[in-house]
Amino acid sequence: MSDRPLDLAIRQAPELHYIDLSELKISNCTGCFGCWTRTPGKCVIRDDAPRVYPYIAKSEEVVYITKVIYGGYDTIMKTMLERAIPIQQAFIRIHRGETHHIQRNVAPKKATIIAYGSTDPEEQDLFRQLVARNACNMNFASHEVIFTTEEMIDNTVNNILKQWETSSF
Amino acid sequence: MGNIFILNGSPRASKSNSKQYAEIFSKNYLQETIYKAISKTNQVQLCRELSHYSDVLFVFPLYADALPVGLLHFLKTLETNLPEHKPTVSILINCGFLEPEQNEVAVKIIHLFCRRNGFPIGSTLMLGSGEAILKSPFKYIAIRNIRKLAKCIASGNHQTIQATMPLPKFLFRLAANKYWTKYGQKFGITKKQMQTMETEG
Repeated sequence: MSDRPLDLAIRQAPELHYIDLSELKISNCTGCFGCWTRTPGKCVIRDDAPRVYPYIAKSEEVVYITKVIYGGYDTIMKTMLERAIPIQQAFIRIHRGETHHIQRNVAPKKATIIAYGSTDPEEQDLFRQLVARNACNMNFASHEVIFTTEEMIDNTVNNILKQWETSSF
Repeated sequence: MGNIFILNGSPRASKSNSKQYAEIFSKNYLQETIYKAISKTNQVQLCRELSHYSDVLFVFPLYADALPVGLLHFLKTLETNLPEHKPTVSILINCGFLEPEQNEVAVKIIHLFCRRNGFPIGSTLMLGSGEAILKSPFKYIAIRNIRKLAKCIASGNHQTIQATMPLPKFLFRLAANKYWTKYGQKFGITKKQMQTMETEG
């Protein structure tokens, strides 16, 4: 799932799904709690986000490609991550010693976050802290953050895809 | 101590807990407070208005472990529309979880923005159990700490404060689950329906 178009070496594989968020219409979460209390598991805003969060839920491996701003996800990726709240319940569990929301059918996943647009070590450290927090709330069984430049994004993603292809077949 | 501009970064704006927190703050801040909600259409105007204040207080909920995206858009707008006079930035953040420290990354994001853009950093209140605390017997804890935040900002003796319901985690979990069950009942949705493991697709 990327916040910009990618030139992928592999586009077609039965277990691979590529989402370019920059070409989708996804509006901001309004915080209505509808996906928890009115239509559980389903967002009441019927734009492109409901086509995306089911993939987030069922994937055992995710690769997110995002620009970094102020040590966090830039707006395109952040908008989608907020709209993925329907895959959680309102109800609370105790997970890794903290209170967190119960996940619906969300596969534990290996997450790789490819982050570009940041060369500042302080900002990179903050982004790592954010992803570690996400791990608790987004069911990451393991996670890795890779910082790269905008020019190197395609290469970085394609290297990960090659590794995935090798390990899958 | 000067006048303070309170900016609500919650997507729920008029229906938000953040608005209620802002109201409690206003009652406890001795100088004039001006409250506005950040929207898609007023951001450049808000950037201009910031120049008139010695302090700004961002009030917002934690969303996906960080700032709500509307507030993030505002910071990006602010970076390209910097006011001549930069007010001191204070924060009143709340999360629905028991642990106020789950707000720390969001606070650091705003502080990084401040350092990059020359805004002095003021005080912070990180609230846990922020979705329900005002409707609970522990409302007084929220009020007491918001009052403390107001005093810190007014005196310029800046601090970072944390507050939450004084409950063990298992009891908080039970209380939160009761709260959400009642919330669903208002819409005719049962606890079992809310507990569905299915999402669409």
